[in-house]
Amino acid sequence: MELDIRASDGVAVVEPKGRIDSVAAQAFGDRVCALVRAGENRVVIDLANVAYMSSAGFRSLLIVGKTVEQTAGQLALCGVSGEVKRLFDIGGFNELFVICPTRAESVAKVGPAGP
Amino acid sequence: MKKPPDIVHGLEEAPPPVVTILSGVQHVGLIAINLVYPLLVFRIAETPTQTVVNLVGAAMLVLAAATLLQALRFGPVGSGFMCPAVFTATYLGPSLIAAKLGGLPLVFGMTVFAGFLEAALAPLLNRLRPIFPPEISGVVIFMIGVSASIAGLRLMLGGEGAPVSSAEWSVATITLATMIILSVWARGMARMLCALVGLAIGYMAAAIAGIFDVAQSDAIDGAAWVDVPQLGQVSWSFDLGLAVPFAIAALAAAMKALGVITICQRTNDAEWVRPDMSSIKRGVLADGAATALSGLAGAVGTSTSASNAGLAAMTGVTSRRIAFAIATILVLLAFVPKLAAVLASMPRAIMMAALLFSMTSVIIQGIQIMSSRLLDARRSLTIAFAIVAGIAVDIFPAIAQATPLAGPLVGSSLVLATVTALGLNLLFRLGVKQKVRLTLAGEATDLETIEGFFAGHGRAWGARPEVIGRAIFGVQQLADVIFENCAPQGPIAIEASFDEFNLDVRVHYQGELLELPDSRPTDQDIRESADGVRRLAGFLVRRNADRARASSLRGRVTIHFHFDH
Repeated sequence: MELDIRASDGVAVVEPKGRIDSVAAQAFGDRVCALVRAGENRVVIDLANVAYMSSAGFRSLLIVGKTVEQTAGQLALCGVSGEVKRLFDIGGFNELFVICPTRAESVAKVGPAGP
Repeated sequence: MKKPPDIVHGLEEAPPPVVTILSGVQHVGLIAINLVYPLLVFRIAETPTQTVVNLVGAAMLVLAAATLLQALRFGPVGSGFMCPAVFTATYLGPSLIAAKLGGLPLVFGMTVFAGFLEAALAPLLNRLRPIFPPEISGVVIFMIGVSASIAGLRLMLGGEGAPVSSAEWSVATITLATMIILSVWARGMARMLCALVGLAIGYMAAAIAGIFDVAQSDAIDGAAWVDVPQLGQVSWSFDLGLAVPFAIAALAAAMKALGVITICQRTNDAEWVRPDMSSIKRGVLADGAATALSGLAGAVGTSTSASNAGLAAMTGVTSRRIAFAIATILVLLAFVPKLAAVLASMPRAIMMAALLFSMTSVIIQGIQIMSSRLLDARRSLTIAFAIVAGIAVDIFPAIAQATPLAGPLVGSSLVLATVTALGLNLLFRLGVKQKVRLTLAGEATDLETIEGFFAGHGRAWGARPEVIGRAIFGVQQLADVIFENCAPQGPIAIEASFDEFNLDVRVHYQGELLELPDSRPTDQDIRESADGVRRLAGFLVRRNADRARASSLRGRVTIHFHFDH
């Protein structure tokens, strides 16, 4: 899995690419949590290029969500479509995250000027 | 069966009376186009005009009975769909030969034979199902659309009749444009009756442009307003030499009925997955019975109408009550020869426009059915060669003369495409395993290996992409969690078996049993414990499959996933 992180309007946009399996999930979670603890606690995770996500991947997302909450930050997901959306549906994860249709809407949602 | 959003009045619904009647008229207008086939056969057999008028009346009654047979379900007969019958081009080639060799008695006798043969094929369709996979139904439907469109174009461009005048092109353009504009941009009644309005405007334009020829005008003028169709002046004969071409036409008619009833199923069901063979068997039986009845009453072979099924899809009116309206109108027409003559005299410009319009949705449905399955090289070749073979017959009709022995096969694009697809499908079934195995040793590339394994075999099986995608996730998630959390001793063995209805996957390993819980662990469990992740994996794979079961015997764990296909 590759991980692309860039800043956009005061928001850290994290874009994993490839499969988030049990090995990749650990690295993904550690890296994003470190970012949040370093002060970048307005985070968008774009899952558009994720082909597979295991239970360990969902665990990492939950840990990131908890870390963001502890630092009074904001987290939104986008790019949840196709197979990944199906997994969110069957796992009942849709209610646990803020999910926006596009990256721009996610950034607007969690950005400093957001609601 | 879930009504799709595009359907305004579904199969079991009752449209308002005005919609019912006008939809019926619209369908009859389309049915009338195919009256050209018996008229052509009668002309080749040098049938006197008065006899033709009688036979057209009888033909209308046959079509009414055939439409009812298909819509109502009498015992094992009838698909239950609004799926009108028409005279079909499938029997045209053999019927013309019979007309030349033995006159109308031979045409009628061979038509009865073909009808009984098609009816006899119906109960065998389920057993023959492996040789009729969905992509072959798709090829047949696609070729029905293409061959009928080409037949429509040939009326104008074939160079066999009089040269096409600019007035005829104008009438064709006005007719087609009216149908398309109303279908795409209109709402409500105007959309539902787009073909009828197009036909009416086409007839008006044709009258203004003066493109009715003298013979057509005389036929209309000479027809009585009211008359009782004369039945019982028909005789029959049989020629063994014509049994083969009529038998092939009967097979093609059965395949066409299979395709058209599949169109009806898809049009009426938003959740359609595969052809329902029960309604197809009943429909093919009705189709064969209708052709036998047609031969007995003094007409040529009939078939369920792809263009009417396409029209129903385009207008969003598929109610069974429309079939009753169609049958009633056809019966009335049988007693009003003047109106039947007007329809039988439809100018070729209007015929072409109506055929092209109604075949658009048929062609698209064929493409959608072909692409609803994963396709490997074998299946791709089968589809491509069948289509090329069929189109070749339409483009180069001289093939039939060049290969007289194969004449019955290469005389019709639909027959050749069907036979090519069936033959290649049988050939390419050789070497395809329905039960396959894979062993995983816990390497970094296991997830790619699993994906390649299922994707490759899914294409060879012609499986649905969605089901194969779920199987890939289930096994990837399982392998991931087993190697990470279940302390496996040795490799993981995977077995997958497939048939058209089931995909079963069994995963075996030596190690700790993976629990498959009914409910998801709490967020806290998932975040804070390895067991939480493990149970989440078990929950996901259980929800991912239609059925899942885990068992362990002396440390040997078996997890069984079942996917409905």
